[in-house]
Amino acid sequence: MLSAGGVGGPIGRAFLLVGLVGALFGFVSCVMGMRQKDEKVLRLSLRFATLSAVSALGAFVAMEYAMITRDFSLDYIQKVGSRSTPALYNFTAVWSALEGSILMWLLALALMTTWVAWRYRTKITDPLVACALATMFVTAFFFFLLTVGPANPFAQGAAGVTDGPGPNPLLQNHILVLFHPPILYIGYVGFTIPFAFAIGALVTGRVGEGWLLETRRWALFSWGFLTFGIVLGGWWSYEVLGWSGVWAWDPVENASLLPWITGTAYIHSVLVQERRGMLRVWNLSLLVATFSLTILGTFLTRSGILNSVHAFSESDIGPYLLAFFAIIVVVSLILIGWRGDRLRAPGIIDSPLSREGAFLANNVLFSVFAFVVLLGTVFPLIVEAVQNRQIVVGEPFFDSLATPIGIVMLFLMCIAPVLPWRKASAELLSQRLFWPAWCGVAALAVAVILGATGVEPLLTFTLGGFATGAALRQLVLATRRQKWRGLVGRANGGMIVHIGVIMISVALAASNSYTRSQELTLTKGVPASFGGHTFELTGFVEESDARRTSIKVDVSVDGGKSYRPAIHKFTSMGQNVGTPSVKSSWSKDIYLTLEPPVKPTSDEAKIKVFIKPMMTWMWAGGILMAIGTVLSAFPGRRRRPTDPVSAPVLTPSSTEAAS
Amino acid sequence: MERSRSSRLKSWPMWMLMGVVTVCLLAIGAGRDGGPLTQQERIDSITKRLACPTCDGESVFVSQASAAVNIKNEVARQVATGQRDDEEIVAFIEERFGGRVLLVPRATGFDSLVWVLPVTVLVCSVAGLAATFRRWRREQGLVPSDDDRALVARLLAEDPEDNDEVPR
Repeated sequence: MLSAGGVGGPIGRAFLLVGLVGALFGFVSCVMGMRQKDEKVLRLSLRFATLSAVSALGAFVAMEYAMITRDFSLDYIQKVGSRSTPALYNFTAVWSALEGSILMWLLALALMTTWVAWRYRTKITDPLVACALATMFVTAFFFFLLTVGPANPFAQGAAGVTDGPGPNPLLQNHILVLFHPPILYIGYVGFTIPFAFAIGALVTGRVGEGWLLETRRWALFSWGFLTFGIVLGGWWSYEVLGWSGVWAWDPVENASLLPWITGTAYIHSVLVQERRGMLRVWNLSLLVATFSLTILGTFLTRSGILNSVHAFSESDIGPYLLAFFAIIVVVSLILIGWRGDRLRAPGIIDSPLSREGAFLANNVLFSVFAFVVLLGTVFPLIVEAVQNRQIVVGEPFFDSLATPIGIVMLFLMCIAPVLPWRKASAELLSQRLFWPAWCGVAALAVAVILGATGVEPLLTFTLGGFATGAALRQLVLATRRQKWRGLVGRANGGMIVHIGVIMISVALAASNSYTRSQELTLTKGVPASFGGHTFELTGFVEESDARRTSIKVDVSVDGGKSYRPAIHKFTSMGQNVGTPSVKSSWSKDIYLTLEPPVKPTSDEAKIKVFIKPMMTWMWAGGILMAIGTVLSAFPGRRRRPTDPVSAPVLTPSSTEAAS
Repeated sequence: MERSRSSRLKSWPMWMLMGVVTVCLLAIGAGRDGGPLTQQERIDSITKRLACPTCDGESVFVSQASAAVNIKNEVARQVATGQRDDEEIVAFIEERFGGRVLLVPRATGFDSLVWVLPVTVLVCSVAGLAATFRRWRREQGLVPSDDDRALVARLLAEDPEDNDEVPR
């Protein structure tokens, strides 16, 4: 075996087997330790967690080694490796197809399992922690199983292969391939931790709020990475795909959005539980839904039953994922049914017009949104199963339903931040909402003066201004009282996240509604104009190497700097990949693509120009969301965790004492 | 003193004014025409509604596949002749390339479920929430009288900032 290829394959396979055994033994030691109440046995699980993490890391390194040394004895390297791929894209080629992606998933999961095990090592005797850890071991075991079975990245390939096609051209075209997938995966995989704690809480019946503080922070961690990963994905699409959009409602995108939606619902509704001790069943269900949606999404997009631009390869892991999904759902439902009586919350929500009421409305909206996205994604499958007919559900469907949902969400973001817990009066609202509402009117006025048209974008701008006002009001009040500390904590950090979301919504509304586009045939030395800008072809650049042939054109915009849209023809795949060139400013982007066919000898080139307003706001909003998430992970000056959450809300004396 | 001035400022006539201004601005903005579309913009908006027949789930607008480019060129031809409107061009393409090119499910027959179900889920969840609130109110045992409400409102009005925004 060794003589046939490099050492990467055998070593990788060995690591994966050791990891598989480690995860299994970790699970067994958790369960046995719990049953025998033996701390020594429980402590063994720490070792097994470390063992499986080291194994996963070892396997990943072995894969990288095989990729870097171009070990074409492995089937996977034959699929995605190539002697002509540059070092960076060769490194990232490890996660450019299914088996490597599962390996990366496994690596993240095994590291997180170890992190959880060591973080709670002093509490390992607590059945809840042991149970959560056992759940994580089961999940890790499942993914190790995938890698030694149907998605084995170290499977031997056909003999005699000396070169491969390399990764899909789209995955060797932009630096973001190094960041978007790993960040997204950390978010995706991270939701295993809150899920594991939810299962722990259900099994032990300790469905009070003790576990909640921990879970909330883990959920926020995963949510932050998922959010940032999604935003980076949008940016990547914009920079690479050449149709000037950020989101196509592609099944894989939807698969990442679904857990994001339920996760967002959770990090809002969990506050009601922390504060009032209510919605326990609901919150557990959201965590279960979030985790199971990550598995379902992976099943839908990786089993080959739904295809998309992201499905760079398929395999037969579908039945495994479906079975795992079914097990998660059935076990969780049984546990929730079994513990249902203990989950009953004592309190009630007094009025719909309260902070709690707003969180409930938020949850209804997010649930409907998740349902819409899931339905639209699987509807072609349903139609095919029922009527044996093929249909496509695409962007216009999702847009037409997501727009009203988004507008109502924006409206909630206007009202909810100023609502008190328990109950609000009309008088109170009219006081608190006054200036935020004027912010909305001001935003509308500015938009109208700048020439905005259409009801939906105008409503978005108005509500965006209003919601920004509401968020700023909270931040101003908090910083006035607590100086810089008024920016940290979940309420204040959350408001910064809100402002980021608003910026993204406004940017989406503006760019979807007011994009201008035109195809221009440019002749050297003759400027053409469109949308108040002039475009002049100043030259051609041709480059060629073993990997690809590139034709680029220099286009001077408004007589100034040159931009260089290009078309690359990848030799091994024979595929054309365009690379747009973008001139960005705060008000608008000028997005240029080169349209085939290009004849450098003719002094003529056809380009397509998109003028897209406010795109920069979208990326700024994404950064703001990331900053806000970090800030809200720090504890603010709130109720001490040891205080009972169902304690009376507030008495004047406690307020005085605290402030 | 200052508080009462602020309260007066935030009274209902100012809210009315705000409402009137908003409605006027919305009417101005929504009522006017966004200007003529370029041919390319018409092509883009039509091809966004059409699915590329050989790729999965991508629109003709997004896709670079040759089948999509064919449809794009056909749409461009139709737009250039200027004889058909957008709907007619979509219908024409559908007739020529078959039913799989539509990216939006129809609102008739089995396909209409994709439109009906989200609305049903929304209505059910809102109704469920309303029912829960009713139950909570019943469980509460007593419904506050108007006098109680007035008392609470008065106390809250005295100190409008009195809620959880105060750090503790």
